[in-house]
Amino acid sequence: MKARKGKGLFVFCCLAPAAILFIVFMILPTIDIFRMSMFKWGGYTDNKTFVGLDNFKILFKSDKFYQAFQNSILLIVLVTLVTFTFALVFAYILSREKIKGKTFFSVIFYIPNILSVVVISAIFSAIYDPNLGLLNSFLNLFKGAENPTLWLGDQKIVIYSIVIALVWQAIGYYMVMYMASMANVPESLYESAALEGAGKIRQFFTITIPLIWTNIRTTLTFFVISTINMSFLLVKAMTNGGPDGASNVFLSYMYQEAYTNSSYGYGMAIGVMVFLFSFALAGILNVATKRQEIEF
Amino acid sequence: MGIEKLSDFVYSKTKRNKSLNKGGPTIMKKKKLISLLLVASMAFSLAACGSSGGDDKDADKGGDEKTLKVAAVETAYGADMWKEVCSAFEKSHEGVKVELTIDKKLEDVINPQMKSGEYPDVILRAVGAESGITETFVKDNNLVDLTDVLDMTVPGEEVTVGDKILPGFVENTITNPYGDGKTYLMPMFYGPCGLFYNAGLFEEKGWDVPTTWDEMWALGDKAKEEGIALFTYPTTGYFDAFFYALMHETMGDDFSKALTYEDGIWDTEGAKQAFDIVAKLATYTEKTTPANANDNDFRKNQQLVLDNKALFMPNGNWVIGEMEDAPKADGFEWGFTALPAVKEGGERASYTFFEQIWMPAEAKEQDLGKEFIAYLYSDEAAKIFFDKGGAVQPIEGMSDMITDDNTKLYYSIYDTGAVAVMDAFAATEPIEGLTTRSTFFDPVNSLVTGDKTEQDWIDQIKADSAKFHEALK
Repeated sequence: MKARKGKGLFVFCCLAPAAILFIVFMILPTIDIFRMSMFKWGGYTDNKTFVGLDNFKILFKSDKFYQAFQNSILLIVLVTLVTFTFALVFAYILSREKIKGKTFFSVIFYIPNILSVVVISAIFSAIYDPNLGLLNSFLNLFKGAENPTLWLGDQKIVIYSIVIALVWQAIGYYMVMYMASMANVPESLYESAALEGAGKIRQFFTITIPLIWTNIRTTLTFFVISTINMSFLLVKAMTNGGPDGASNVFLSYMYQEAYTNSSYGYGMAIGVMVFLFSFALAGILNVATKRQEIEF
Repeated sequence: MGIEKLSDFVYSKTKRNKSLNKGGPTIMKKKKLISLLLVASMAFSLAACGSSGGDDKDADKGGDEKTLKVAAVETAYGADMWKEVCSAFEKSHEGVKVELTIDKKLEDVINPQMKSGEYPDVILRAVGAESGITETFVKDNNLVDLTDVLDMTVPGEEVTVGDKILPGFVENTITNPYGDGKTYLMPMFYGPCGLFYNAGLFEEKGWDVPTTWDEMWALGDKAKEEGIALFTYPTTGYFDAFFYALMHETMGDDFSKALTYEDGIWDTEGAKQAFDIVAKLATYTEKTTPANANDNDFRKNQQLVLDNKALFMPNGNWVIGEMEDAPKADGFEWGFTALPAVKEGGERASYTFFEQIWMPAEAKEQDLGKEFIAYLYSDEAAKIFFDKGGAVQPIEGMSDMITDDNTKLYYSIYDTGAVAVMDAFAATEPIEGLTTRSTFFDPVNSLVTGDKTEQDWIDQIKADSAKFHEALK
C-alpha cells in the first residue's frame, strides 16, 4: 500500500511539470480568448467594456467575415484535395516503382517544407509578377503581353494563386509521411496480388490505401489545421488580404481587426469561431473517415 | 569471415561494450549536470524576466534622478537623431535620465510592456500606421491633454510652443481629435504629399505638368499613345493623403463636414466630383498596379514611374530615399507637384503629412514629458533632427535651416500657391469590421480591375459613412 502511494506520488511528480505547462500555456489562454471575445477592447489600454455576445452578433452580419470564411473553406477543401491526391500518387510511385534518383526526388519534393513562409511568398510573388513573372512570361508566348493576367491583383483569381502556393509548399511533407507508412506494407501482399492478376492501380486502391488508412486519417486533421495557419502566413506576406479584401482568410481578417482596427475583442470573437470551426471540422472528418482497422 | 577475424570482431565488440559500460555512469552524470544547468538557466531567465519591472521601480526610488521613458518609431529619418536629441535634453536638464526605445516595429516592443502596465511617458507614432496604435489610444480616450504645452515656453528660448509652431498644425482634426479645441497630439516632422513624376521625361517629351484635371486627362491620352500610363499608386493606403487634398479642392467649405461624415454629404456636387475624378483616374491607371498594391510589392509600382511606364504617383518625399538604389530611366529626375485644380485658376491642394507625439494617460512623468515635448520645438532640437536625419519640424525659422535645394523644392510647394491640407477623417469609436481605409480607399483596387463600379463604391461609402457618423466621438 505504501509502495503504491509512493509510486503514485512519483508519477504525479513526473507528470506535473508537463501538465502545468500545458494548462498555463494552452488551456488558460484558450479560455481567455473565449472571455476576451465578450469585451469591447482596443487592445492597448485598460479600457474594457463587457458587451456580452455583441461581437458575435456583428460577426454574423458582416460580409467581410463571410468572405473570409468562404475563402478559408475554399482553401481547406481545394488544398486538401489537390495535395492529398498528388502526395499519395507521388508517394506510391516513389515507394513502389523502381525509378532512378528516388531519394533525389523525395528531397526535391521536401525542400519547400524547409523554406520559411517568407521565402515561399517571395518566390511566388516573383512567379506571379504581372510583367516579369515566370508565369506571365510563359503565357505571353501564347497570348501576347497585351492583357497580362494579374495573379495577385484580380479579385477572382487571387485566392487560387494562393491555393497553388499552399499546395506546392505542402506536397513534400505529406508525401514523405505517406511514403513512410507505405514502406511498412508487406511486399508479399503486392506479390500475391500481382499473381492473382491485379494491376498497379487496383493494387493501389485495394492494398495501399486500406493499409495506410490510419495515417491518411491523421493527415486529414493536419490538412485542416495547417491550411488555416499557413494560409494566414502566405496571405499576410503576399497580399495582406488584398486587393480590396478579396484574399482575406479567417486569421488575416482576425489579425486586421484585432491589431489594426482597435477591435481586439471582435478579433477574439473571430478567433473563437475559428477555434470552434476547426475543432468541429476535424471531428467530422474523424467520424466520417472511421473504418475498421486492418491489421497486417 | 575467418576465425581470427571473427574473434577480432567479438573482441572489439566486447571491448566497445566494456568501454561503453565504463562510460555509462560518467555520461549519466554529465547528462544530469547538463540538465541541471539547463534548469538553472531557465529559472534564471524566468526570474530575470519577472524582475525587470522591479528593477525600474528601485531606480525610480533611488536618488533624485528622474527617468523619462520615450518611445519613438524608427522611420526613414533613422535612430541617431533621436539618440542625440535625448542626450541633449539630458544635458540641459540636470538629474533627468531619458530612457529611449526606438524601433522600426515599435508596437511589438512596447505593447507587451504596456500590457503589463509599463507605459512609456512619451510616444512618437503617427496615425495611419498599420497597427493603429495611435488611433486606439485616441478612440479609448487614453491621452494626456497637451493643450497647456502650447502655452509653455520653449526651454532655452523666449517664445511659447504655440507661437513657434506653424499655423494650422495644431488646429486640425488630427491634433484635436475630439473637436473640443483641446490638443492631444502634437505635430512633429512634416512633409508635403503630392504627385511625384519623372521631370526628365516631361522635358524630353516637351510635356507640361498639368495644372487642371482636364489637362491631366489630355496628357493621359497623349501618353497612352506612347504606351505610358497616366497614373499608378504604391498601395491604396496612399490614397488617404490624395483623397483629402482632392476633397479639399472639390468640396470647399463642405470639406470639414465630409470629415465628420455628415448626413447627405456624399450626395453633394463636390463629393460627386471627387468620386468622378478618382473613378476616371482608375481607368487611366497602369493595369498591373493592383497586383503589386500590397505592402510586399508596392515598390514595383513605384518602379513604374522610374521606368517611364507610368507618369504620376501619389507619394511623400520619403519615396526618394526608398527608391534611391533602384534602377532609373536615363535622365530621370524627381519632380513633385500639387494636385491639379478642378478648374482653370482653381485651388490646388497638397496634403501635409506630419507625425505626432503624444502621452498615454498612464504616463508616470507627465510634467517632465510635457517639458520634453516643448523642448522638441527648440531650435537646438530642430537642428539635430534636421542635420542628423533630415526631419523637418513644423516651426517658425525652420526654412532658414534648410539649405539644400532638393529639400527646399518640396517644402516650397506651399509658397507656389498650393493649399496645405492637414485634416483627416474624425476619430470614431472603434467599429468592428469597418475602417476608413477599407471603405474609402481599398475599393480603388476594385475600380481599376473593374470588379466594382463607381456606383458600388459610392453606395458602400454612404452605407458605412452612416455607421461612422453614429460612432463619432
